[in-house]
Amino acid sequence: MTERYDGSTIDLERELVRYLLRERLTRRDLLERIGRLGAAAALAPVIAACTTGGASSAPSASAAGPASAAPSTGPTATPEPTPVPSPESELFVYNWTDYIGDTTIPSFEAKYGIKVTYDFFSNTDEAYAKLGSDGGGYDLSFPISVDIPAFVKKDALLPLDKSLLPNIVNLGKEWSDPGYDPGNTHSVPYMWWTTGVAYDSTRIKDTPTSSKALWDARWAKHIAMLDDVQETFATALIQLGYSANTTDTSEMDQALALLEQQKPLVRLYSTDTITTMSSGDVWIGQIWGADLYQINQENENVVYYIPEEGGVRGSDTMAIFAGAKHPIAAHLFINHMLDAQVSAANTNFIGYMGPNAAAKEFISPDILADPSVNPDQALVDKLEELLDLGQDVRDEYLKRWQILRGG
Amino acid sequence: MSGRNRWLSAYAVIGYVFLFAPIVVLIIFSFNDSRRNFQWRGFTLDWYPTLLANDQLLDALFVTLRVAAVAVVVSTLLGTLFGLALARLRFRGRAATETLLLVPMVTPEIVMGLSLLVFFYQLFGSRGSFTQLALAHITFCISYVAIVVRARAAGMDPRLEEAARDLGASAFGAFRYVTLPLVAPAVLSGALLAFALSFDDYVVTTFNAGVGSSTLPLYIYGKVKFGVTPEINAISTLIVAVTAVVVLAAWRVSQRRAEATATDAGR
Amino acid sequence: MAEATDAGQRRATGDAVRAGSEGSVRSLGDRLAAAVLLVPGIAWLIAFFVVPLAMIFLVSLGSRDALDRIVLDQLSLDNYARAFDPGFLPTFFNSLRYAAATTVLSLAIGYPIAYWISRYGGRHKALLLILVMLPFWTSYLIRTYAWMIILRDNGVANSILQAVGLMHEPIILLNTDFSVILGMTYGFLPFAILPLYVSIDRLDPALIAAARDLYANGREAFLRVTLPLTVPGIVAATILTFIPAIGDFVTPDLLGGAQTTTIAKVVQELFLEGRDWPYGAALGFVLMVVTLGGTIVALRPLRAEVVGT
Repeated sequence: MTERYDGSTIDLERELVRYLLRERLTRRDLLERIGRLGAAAALAPVIAACTTGGASSAPSASAAGPASAAPSTGPTATPEPTPVPSPESELFVYNWTDYIGDTTIPSFEAKYGIKVTYDFFSNTDEAYAKLGSDGGGYDLSFPISVDIPAFVKKDALLPLDKSLLPNIVNLGKEWSDPGYDPGNTHSVPYMWWTTGVAYDSTRIKDTPTSSKALWDARWAKHIAMLDDVQETFATALIQLGYSANTTDTSEMDQALALLEQQKPLVRLYSTDTITTMSSGDVWIGQIWGADLYQINQENENVVYYIPEEGGVRGSDTMAIFAGAKHPIAAHLFINHMLDAQVSAANTNFIGYMGPNAAAKEFISPDILADPSVNPDQALVDKLEELLDLGQDVRDEYLKRWQILRGG
Repeated sequence: MSGRNRWLSAYAVIGYVFLFAPIVVLIIFSFNDSRRNFQWRGFTLDWYPTLLANDQLLDALFVTLRVAAVAVVVSTLLGTLFGLALARLRFRGRAATETLLLVPMVTPEIVMGLSLLVFFYQLFGSRGSFTQLALAHITFCISYVAIVVRARAAGMDPRLEEAARDLGASAFGAFRYVTLPLVAPAVLSGALLAFALSFDDYVVTTFNAGVGSSTLPLYIYGKVKFGVTPEINAISTLIVAVTAVVVLAAWRVSQRRAEATATDAGR
Repeated sequence: MAEATDAGQRRATGDAVRAGSEGSVRSLGDRLAAAVLLVPGIAWLIAFFVVPLAMIFLVSLGSRDALDRIVLDQLSLDNYARAFDPGFLPTFFNSLRYAAATTVLSLAIGYPIAYWISRYGGRHKALLLILVMLPFWTSYLIRTYAWMIILRDNGVANSILQAVGLMHEPIILLNTDFSVILGMTYGFLPFAILPLYVSIDRLDPALIAAARDLYANGREAFLRVTLPLTVPGIVAATILTFIPAIGDFVTPDLLGGAQTTTIAKVVQELFLEGRDWPYGAALGFVLMVVTLGGTIVALRPLRAEVVGT
């Protein structure tokens, strides 16, 4: 095993020992890594070192060579590692349709020569049923952050090999150690958003600032709420002064009572907020902030605000599943998405903010200036993040949700 | 034409208008200069070239058509045989067999979809594939064909077949020349229903399509979050247009044949 | 050859229909025929439907662990006990209402159309049938969006009503029971028209003419001769609309509103949002048994008409 692909010889043994020393691994550790990630993935850094033939072959160390972008503010974007000739030529990705910049996949395919098969889902819970506990045939998907802890507990996700993700330093510091996945060991944040209220300013002349506006009888039958247990209850709970993540059933009951008062005024519960707010039938509704961008393309009179009582923020992630047949390709893809320019391209196309600090200089100024997509940090800090509260608590909420929705 | 005739014809025309009303809207909006399907923003032809360049969408369409083709052929075959048996034969366990036919229709789609997912994974280790999808589609189509064929074949006089046999036809020949032509409209109807069911299926397909075999419904529903663009209207319009052209052509052909026969008879 | 057999068919009257179909399995040839006709379909359904369903039935007897994984260690009927929660009744009745209304409307609208195609379609009958199906070779979602465009407050329907002067303000048509039933009827109409057509098409026009002569007017002739003879079609149409309609949750979801939740949606939610496959499966099975039982009981008086026994 001392021949390189192009026929010249290298001393793999020597590189291997160097690698082990540097990473402070024993051979045993490396074998475990191989078992977990597959030989290709585990040995990739070693092979990379061999191909560049250089001394500094630990990609996560300080950079050598030109930066891939103009001088950046914030954490320095490390240069792209020499593309590891991936032994994998395909990648299977499962995501929403269009939830990715239109040039992202072509640029990835061109750069690495890996063919990406991109399949779509329309509902995260449906996607989870299909992904099962090992990916259901897919290598990479985009679970919501709230659901990562459960996936990790089920051993459904592959722990990430950070040495293959040099671009991870691009993440804003507030994202490097999120509550749902400390240290980003199993996932990398993708996009984030806030939940708030949107209304048509031509129909609703006063400028509401409270979530109570969704209970205003003047807009009876022109109000919409999200078809989502956690989001709907969060609005009610926060209005009552409780936490959106409460486990107290009496607080849940009060929230249910409040929502039941609202129900006769509600036109519909739907997650298709863009349709809802564009049709003209709904004048005020609960929406995800980043949807405003698309809604305004249909109706520029729609305005968004985060209720003064407080609100919720959420995010989704990229994660590699345990049954992935192409783990290296998946890592390369994630790294590609973490690239400042690619991340900005995604944001510019979809209209959601990413967690990528280095990307900010490439994001369109309209989006940066839009408080519905990019609220300032002070406001964001006030928002609660929805958590996974465990099966029992989730059942309590679902039970009340079904009581609410029951005809 | 009698008066009753006119009312009935008017009624039928209104019925067809009802059936095509949303289609007209759909076609109009395929020319909508907007990324969405709601507000009319102006006329544009751009969605058609966009559609033709959209490989993902076209691939999804072809997968859908291939699955539907397989599903229609097999389910029509199995369903017709089944329907005929139920209508014409008396056998033990008939009630149970009828119930067997009704159960797939009563099963909630999520239950059927997930049951097949579990079945194929546990027994064959498959997470979904074109074959799995086709098998699933055939399964939910059979009942529809069988019930329609039964409705037609029910009460068919068995003496007709017997007469044919007496006249020297084999069992198969009697079947082919007597029974089959009589149930042909039902077979066609069953096939048409099966095609519609397969073409638009979403839930069962979600759980049984393999990686990379997205169908048109999966593609379209996946776009809801970011806007079901008028490209989808465009592709639907093209499908309707192509089929309408074929129907019109067939109409002309059968019209000419009718005229030709009349002329022949007249001589 | 088809002409000759049609003539033979024309001799059938109501009684003959009943008495004639005795086709009992007598000889070996007949048994073979029965096997050829039945075995493929039954085998298929057993392999690809019954067995998978049995697996899910097993799941319904199980439970799930804290991580939502299915546990089959201790099987019990607990989920079924929970499924009979009276809290589900309102949504169940919603489903029942919608399905019943849809069926009745589909039959009422579909019968005349099927009759017209059969009587006046001539050589173009098959094409007219295809034309009935044509709208359904477009995407369901887009058709539904089209209905939304038509029914919304500032949509086509309201514009017409206001232009004609019937209304001065838009009435709420979308996200109501009305829009749900309209959408469902629309979606199931072909499933009514086609079976009705195949049954109506078998009628002998001479028979209808004779009935007209016997009875005072067309209505009597219709009620006493045509309708009873097309019962198999009516039964088939009812089955093909009512049964799937109970399980339809997409249409009520998209065209419906806050008050139109269906039991099918509840089952769906249990599986997906609730991640409780065992409970969802149990509720699903209860729904299936109730629907099936109800349908069979309701159709029993008509069985004789359908199968001619």
